[in-house]
Amino acid sequence: MLEQVWFPLVITLKIAAISTLIVAILGTIISYILARREFMGKWLVDVLVTLPMVLPPTVTGYLLIMLLGKNGVIGKVLFDLTGISLLFTWQVAVIAAFVVSLPLMVKTTTAAIEAVDRDFEYAAFTLGRKELETALFITLPLAKKGILAGVVLSFARAVGEFGATLMVAGNIPGRTNTMAISIYSAFQGGNNELANMLVIILVTVSLLSMAITARLVNRWKI
Amino acid sequence: MGIKVDFRKRHYMKKSDKKKGIDPVFMLDAKFEAGNELVVLFGRSGSGKTTALQCISGLLEPNGGKIIVNDKVYFDCHKRIDLPVQQRSLGYVFQNYALFPHMDVKKNIAYGLKGFSEEEKGRRVGEVLRLLHIEGLEDNYPSQLSGGQKQRVALARALAPKPEILLLDEPFSALDAVVRMKLREMIRRIQKELGIPILFITHNPVEAFTMADRMVIFHNGRVQQTGTPEEVFYHPQNSHVAELVGMTNIFEDVIVGEEDTATGTVLLRKDELQVSVIQQKLRAGRNVSWGIRPENIYILSEEGETDPQEENVFSASVKSIVNKGASKLIYIDIGHHQNLLIAETSNQTFEKLHLEAGDTCRVKLDKRKIAVF
Repeated sequence: MLEQVWFPLVITLKIAAISTLIVAILGTIISYILARREFMGKWLVDVLVTLPMVLPPTVTGYLLIMLLGKNGVIGKVLFDLTGISLLFTWQVAVIAAFVVSLPLMVKTTTAAIEAVDRDFEYAAFTLGRKELETALFITLPLAKKGILAGVVLSFARAVGEFGATLMVAGNIPGRTNTMAISIYSAFQGGNNELANMLVIILVTVSLLSMAITARLVNRWKI
Repeated sequence: MGIKVDFRKRHYMKKSDKKKGIDPVFMLDAKFEAGNELVVLFGRSGSGKTTALQCISGLLEPNGGKIIVNDKVYFDCHKRIDLPVQQRSLGYVFQNYALFPHMDVKKNIAYGLKGFSEEEKGRRVGEVLRLLHIEGLEDNYPSQLSGGQKQRVALARALAPKPEILLLDEPFSALDAVVRMKLREMIRRIQKELGIPILFITHNPVEAFTMADRMVIFHNGRVQQTGTPEEVFYHPQNSHVAELVGMTNIFEDVIVGEEDTATGTVLLRKDELQVSVIQQKLRAGRNVSWGIRPENIYILSEEGETDPQEENVFSASVKSIVNKGASKLIYIDIGHHQNLLIAETSNQTFEKLHLEAGDTCRVKLDKRKIAVF
């Protein structure tokens, strides 16, 4: 019983944490570029990033299989070169979580960066600071509430990820059975006791992370 | 030394408009020169002052021309020079101050001191705090400061890296009158102390007049006139400038008469209204405009001798009187010409006149103060 509860919790948090870390870094970079730069094909980047938010998760999962499977565009190259197959591993669950939570991060963060008054950046330029320095020490700190909101949403989305993960990582006990998937299969298998337990833990973890974030934000003056 | 600019900037609605040959929505042609002095860029909103300042700072790239500050080429279209903002060593004070809200005053001021040791930073921050009389504010955050304090901190931050030129974009527009007066004086003092050119944007004539060593008048994206405040206020080169500097009484389409060599005056005639002015090399028969500032129209009481020889004295009727505080604005109609004039007179003089709306009086236009353009 302990193993049935403990493993899904650990693997879920691990997947969500790693995926959120990547989402936070990449998402912030993409958001900054979308908010502050004009370039050819900007709309295409925007569409590609946003797509997983509007597609059904199963469709996202299917597309990921087409991409990462042994006969997929990327998966085939990877398998031919290293013999590694991504599908049905926890790592591919990280990729799925990343893809579905990236739009939440980018949408929130882009809006937050766009809301930062450009005069602050111009002031930094006139004080001799380059764009990268200005972005790191002026723009992003001033957009930190929005960035944190994006991170929290992304983490929540990663923890709750079900459809795409089930398609690409399956439900392999002791390997890829995340909380969301375990709850579904426990309920399907009539194991209400386990389902209840998992639900209580997931709700507790979610409430806890929300409370911690709220405390953190309250301490920020700006 | 000083500043020498001559550039063009075109704003298009969309980037592609330029290629398609669609006219720009805004055109700026800025051309002026000034020394290491306090230069006021003066004009209405939308006249191109801020765009000019942004081009000089490098925040905007002009479409052509040159910008040279203290013999350093900031921008030269032909030589393909466009020095990045970071390398122009300038101080810029934004209209909304743009103090970094997440940094205290000390950090804000030290932000431009790149490559300084902590000790040097501390010393320099102390220096500019003293220069601007804001010692003791170091540990405050911008949200804890008053408008005047924010403005001084913004100035301190701009001055800390010892810029070669200081650019101020309507820095006092959000401050009350008392704070404004003090800061105007402070900016003048700083200019004298540092000896660098300061470009100062304002649309307030009093501010322009009291602060400027040199004024650059913008209208519709063009520099209309450059000169000392006296030149600009009393000898405007055209009706745009005259209007901008508060010459509220302007008469256009006036014909120049023959010169009276004995008195050195010339008659200007429009319909029945005829004024004499000190001759200013005016060719007879030319079509010109003239204007007079409200404070140079003197109201004479109705009684009193009317000397027929006296020039530029007209009988007038008072239309209305507006109290401006320290002075009164008197709207008058001279003669039967339906020519409305605005005169300004001190409260003291006004009390002696016992004037009310509807009364008649005589007015004299000081011929030495009539500007012809």
